[in-house]
Amino acid sequence: MSCGRPHETPCSQVVASLSAYIDGEVGAEEYRLIAVHLTECPPCEHQRQEVRRVQALVVRASASIATPEGLRARIQATVVSDTSHRRPADDQE
Amino acid sequence: MPEAPSAMDQHSSDPSRELSDEELSTLFATDALPYLDQLYGTALRMTRSPADAEDLVQETYAKAFAAYRTFQQGTNLRAWLFRILRNTFINDYRKAQRQPRFQPTDELGDAQMLDIETRSAGGSRSAEIEALELLGDDDVSAALAEIPEEFRTAVVLADVEGFSYREIADIMDSPVGTVMSRVHRGRKALRGLLDEYAKDRGLVGAQGGEQS
Repeated sequence: MSCGRPHETPCSQVVASLSAYIDGEVGAEEYRLIAVHLTECPPCEHQRQEVRRVQALVVRASASIATPEGLRARIQATVVSDTSHRRPADDQE
Repeated sequence: MPEAPSAMDQHSSDPSRELSDEELSTLFATDALPYLDQLYGTALRMTRSPADAEDLVQETYAKAFAAYRTFQQGTNLRAWLFRILRNTFINDYRKAQRQPRFQPTDELGDAQMLDIETRSAGGSRSAEIEALELLGDDDVSAALAEIPEEFRTAVVLADVEGFSYREIADIMDSPVGTVMSRVHRGRKALRGLLDEYAKDRGLVGAQGGEQS
């Protein structure tokens, strides 16, 4: 997918780096090149927006996950609180 | 002699002193338990089953607490917990599924992934991005569940948990380049699947997207 115009950075390179660009995982110079490209190239900008939408959907769907009731208490009881009974001093009693 | 400080004060003033089990327990409950919801959410994505996710998280906390004395205080506790979660998932849960040993899971994942990628590449015109927003959370969860675990987990750790690629690489024991590729391909595959769902639900036509 390309708008057909020549760019300093080819579309294929921009599309391959879109996720890293969005996540702030590219260097300053690459970031600048991609940012410039996106202002010039509607198809690539469209793909950027698509990635952002998909991200937003994943976040939205994950926000509705509810931790089962009682799990916190069970972990606290079995993992955390038990140790107070395992001190060496207690073992000798 | 000064009065004995609390576990947390003592910890920050003299890291060389061994904490008692009780102090360690208090510290662990205070510092690690607040990550329960995040760990459970990721565990549910990994296992795709509430019961398994619950077991996985309990096991993760048990392991984390057992190893808590060796945890380097002041380093990234959240990433450390997620690393234990992923390792526990790989070691305990996945092995229990008795996947064939001769076929590494990475290869299985790649084959599945290629299938999804081929399907979406061969499809007709894609749904308008606005149409995807009409999909429910169940559809999004179903699409996530369809992509292979390595890709799904990388996407969830990046998008939901906001971890950096470096942190994800540590959590998943993978090179940063692999993480970058998994996040990228994972999102792309997800996009393709959501597209299929939108078409199945008739959302594409509703947006006036599909014309011949």
